[in-house]
Amino acid sequence: MKPVDDLLLDLLDDLAETWREVEVFAKTGRSRTLRLGRALEVSSLRQEEGWAVRAGDDRRSFGYAASGTPRLDVPWPEADGRGLRLPSARPVPEWKPPADLETSLLGENEAAALFDAIARELDTELPGARVVQGQLEDGSSEEQIVSSRETRAVVRRRTASLWIEARGPRRAAGSLSLLLAAREARHFAPSMVARRLADRLAVAERGASPVRDRGEFLLAPAVGVALLRGLADLWIGPGATERIKPLVDRQGRIASRAVTLVDDGRLEGGVLAAPVDGEGQPTRRLALVEAGVYRQPLVAWNEVPSAGRSEMRAVGCRRRASWRDLPTTGPSHLHLVPDPEISVASLLASLSRGYYLLDAAGGLRVEKGFQRFALPVVGFAIDGGRSTGSVSDVWLVGSVKTLLDGILAVARDLTFLPVGPGLVGAPTLLVKGLELRHRP
Amino acid sequence: MLPFADIDAAAVARVLSQVADRTNDLADAYFEALEVIELPPEDRSPGVRVRRETGLAVRLVREGRTWLAGRDGIEPERFGEAVRRVARALPSNPYPHPELGRTRFTEPPEAPEVLEFPSRATRALRERGLDREIAAAVRLTVRRHRRFVRVVGSQVSSGTERESFYSVDTETPWGRHGILLESLDDNAAEILAASLARRAEAQGAESPARGRSICVLGPAAAAVLLHEAVAHALEVDVLARGGHPEAAVGVRMGSELLDVFDDPRSGPEEVRRRADDEGFPTVRRCLLRRGTVEQPIADAAWSRRSDLLVAGGGRRGDRHDAPGPRSTHLELVAGSASSADLFAEGGLYLPEADRGRLDPETGLLTLRFPHGRRIQDGAPAETVGPLVLRGHVSDLLSRVDAVGADVRTGGAGWCAKDGVRMPVWASAPELRLDAVEVGP
Repeated sequence: MKPVDDLLLDLLDDLAETWREVEVFAKTGRSRTLRLGRALEVSSLRQEEGWAVRAGDDRRSFGYAASGTPRLDVPWPEADGRGLRLPSARPVPEWKPPADLETSLLGENEAAALFDAIARELDTELPGARVVQGQLEDGSSEEQIVSSRETRAVVRRRTASLWIEARGPRRAAGSLSLLLAAREARHFAPSMVARRLADRLAVAERGASPVRDRGEFLLAPAVGVALLRGLADLWIGPGATERIKPLVDRQGRIASRAVTLVDDGRLEGGVLAAPVDGEGQPTRRLALVEAGVYRQPLVAWNEVPSAGRSEMRAVGCRRRASWRDLPTTGPSHLHLVPDPEISVASLLASLSRGYYLLDAAGGLRVEKGFQRFALPVVGFAIDGGRSTGSVSDVWLVGSVKTLLDGILAVARDLTFLPVGPGLVGAPTLLVKGLELRHRP
Repeated sequence: MLPFADIDAAAVARVLSQVADRTNDLADAYFEALEVIELPPEDRSPGVRVRRETGLAVRLVREGRTWLAGRDGIEPERFGEAVRRVARALPSNPYPHPELGRTRFTEPPEAPEVLEFPSRATRALRERGLDREIAAAVRLTVRRHRRFVRVVGSQVSSGTERESFYSVDTETPWGRHGILLESLDDNAAEILAASLARRAEAQGAESPARGRSICVLGPAAAAVLLHEAVAHALEVDVLARGGHPEAAVGVRMGSELLDVFDDPRSGPEEVRRRADDEGFPTVRRCLLRRGTVEQPIADAAWSRRSDLLVAGGGRRGDRHDAPGPRSTHLELVAGSASSADLFAEGGLYLPEADRGRLDPETGLLTLRFPHGRRIQDGAPAETVGPLVLRGHVSDLLSRVDAVGADVRTGGAGWCAKDGVRMPVWASAPELRLDAVEVGP
C-alpha cells in the first residue's frame, strides 16, 4: 500500500497532543459527468478534495470536516457529548490493486457516443422507444486514513455509474429508469443496457394484471436484489440477530440449501473491492447464511456483543459515502452466491407453469416483524417453458419465511446493482410458494 | 465581513467574457461557502460535528449545452483551471488569476442554540404530557445550516447572498421525521413537541378505509401539496417532458380559489434571497392566478429559449451541480374561509404531511400523512392513523373548494429532485379538497 501523506500525520500528531482518540481521513477525486436531459445537455468535470477529523476521549468528542487540503490552523469546535473510541489497526492481508486504476476517465465525446449507442440499440430492440434522460459518471478517487491507533491506509478506487430513463412507444405507459455501476464507464455495454430497458418497457406497456395467481417464479437478478435490499435489516447490524430469530428453525436454518448469502469487501473484480473499509479495518468475505443455515449478521468491530462468548466475527464494513459523512455499517458486495452449473435457460425450461419476473417496479414493503412482504413487479407468464403474455401492475406477495425456504435453485448470472453507497447482487432465482396479486 | 465581499468581480467578469466568446453565450463563476453545525443524539459520537465547505464552479452555457467545472476550495489557481476546463476556444490559454480575497471560515464554529435545543425540546415534550418513557426514547439531531453564495457572470453579478436556518431530525419508536425551522427558540420547541405528541397519539389508531373523502389540509400539509402539485409541476424542466414549457402559460390547472406565488424575497427573513444561484434577481413569480398558469419557474438556460420564461428561479445543490429551476418560497394567497366554514362539511383534517411525490410522466400525485382526525360536529375529533392521498394533479387542484384566511409561514421541508436536496419554504393557510381519494 502507498504510504500516507505527511500532512495527515502532522495533523494527527498535533491533535494527539490533546486527544487520546484521533482519526484523520482525506479524500481526493475527480469525475466526469454527462447529463442528458430534456433539450439540455450538461457536461461537468468535478475535482473534489476534502478531509475529516474525529477526535475525543472517553468523555467527549467532536467531528470536523472541510473541503480542500487538510490544515493545522483550524478553529476546532468545542468537544461535547459522548466519548469516542476508534478501532485499533489490524493486519491487512496482501492486496493487489486492480489493474484499471490508472485508466483515463471517459472523454466527453465518448460519453455522448455511449448514450447515442444505447438510444440506437433501444430503438432496434423496441421500435419507437427512446431515452428520455440519463446521467453517466466516471470517476477515480483516493482515500487516506490515519489514526492514533496506528491505522495507516490508502485506498484507490475507480467507479462509474449509469442512470438512464426511457419511455416506450406508448407514452401513456410512462417511463422507467435503470441504475448500473461498473469499475469504469467503458464497461457499460449499450446492447445490454438497451435490452434490459426494452424488456421492461415492453412488459410494462403490454402487461396484463392477474387478480391472483400462484405457481413457480423465476426471479431475474433485479428482483432478487430488490428483495435482498428490502430485507437488509435481517442481515446488517447488531440488531439483526434478534430480528431474524423468528425466521430461524431449531437447526439454525433460515432458508433452503440453495441459499448462501455473503458480503465480500475484497470481491475480485468488484466495483467497491478494497483492502480496508472506511475506518482502515481489513475487509474480507463473510458468510451471513451458508447453505441455508444462518451464521451471523454483518457487523463492524464495535458491534460485536461484548456480553457472553459471542461467536460473531467483525469485518471491515464501515462505509463512508464521502468525506462529509461518518462511517456507517453497510455492505460492499452483499450477494447470493451463484451456482456456476445452472444456466438461466435451464431454469426457464424447468418452469412448467408460473412467472418469469424481470424487475421490481418499486420498493419492497415488509410488515413489522418480517412476517409478510409485497413487491411490485413486472414480467412474463410462463407455460411449458414459453411466455404466454406479459404481466405488470402486480405484486409478488408472501411470507418472508416462505420466500427464503422456497428458493429452489440459483443460476450463475450474478448481477450487482448499486444500493446506497454499496452494491447488492443476486443471480436469477427459482422460487415456489409465493403469489401474484393485483393489490399488495 | 461576509465571505466573497472582496472578490475582484470585474477581473473575474473579464476572464469569463473571454470564455463567453459567442453572442448568446452565458458564462459565470459561482462561489459558495457552507457550514453545518450538528449535534447528534446523546448516544452517538462524535459529540458535535462541524462541516465547512468552500468551493467554486465555472460554467459556460451555449446553445442548449452546459459545460461545468466544479472545484473544492477557492483559490485563484483553481479558478483558472476551472476556466480552462469549460473554455471551448483556446482551453490552453493562460487565463489570468483574479484576486478572490478571503475564501475560508476563520471564526470558531459556535452555535450555542443548537446545543441547548434538546433540553428545550424535552421540556416542551413533558409540558405536552407525553409519556415519560416515550419522551425519553425521542432522539434528536439538531443542525444549524449557513450558506453564502456569490455569482459573477459575464453579464450579471450578484452580491453575497446569505441563508441561515435550522433542521431537526427526530427518531422515535414510531418512525423518523424532520422539520425545518427559522430559529431554535421556545416556540420552535413547542412546534416540534406538538408534532411529536400528535404522532404519538396516532399510534395504534386505525387508518381510514379506502374511499373518497373531504380533506381539510392544515397550513403545513397545504404547503407540501402546493410544493408537489404546483411548484414541481411548473418547473420548466418538468414541463419540458411533455413538450414546450411555455405552452403551459394560460392553461387552467386548478380551482379559481388558487393564487400561488413563488417569492424568494418574502420567505422567512434569514433565508430571503435577492438573487438566485445564477446571480439573476429573484422575482415575485405568479405561478397560478385564479387557478391558471401565469409564469412557470425558469432558470437562465431555459429563459434563453423563450421570451415567456423569466430567469431568477435557478438553484444549485452545490458547486458540483448545474443549476436547475426550483421553487424557494411558495405562497398561497389567503382566502376567506373561517375554520367553521372549512370544517362545516365533515371529512378528515390533515395537519401535516410527511412527504409527497409527483410522477412527472403521469401527473399522479401521492401525499403521505402520518395521522389525521375525523371532522365531527364542525371540529377535528377522533384521531386516525397514517394515510395516503392520491390523485392526478389537475383533478386534485380543481377540487379545492375553500381556502382559509389565516396564513402561516414555515419550512415546507427538504425537497429532493434528481438527487439534489434543497430546503423549501412556504406560507399557506388551510385549504379544503372535495371528495379526494384517500386510503391506508
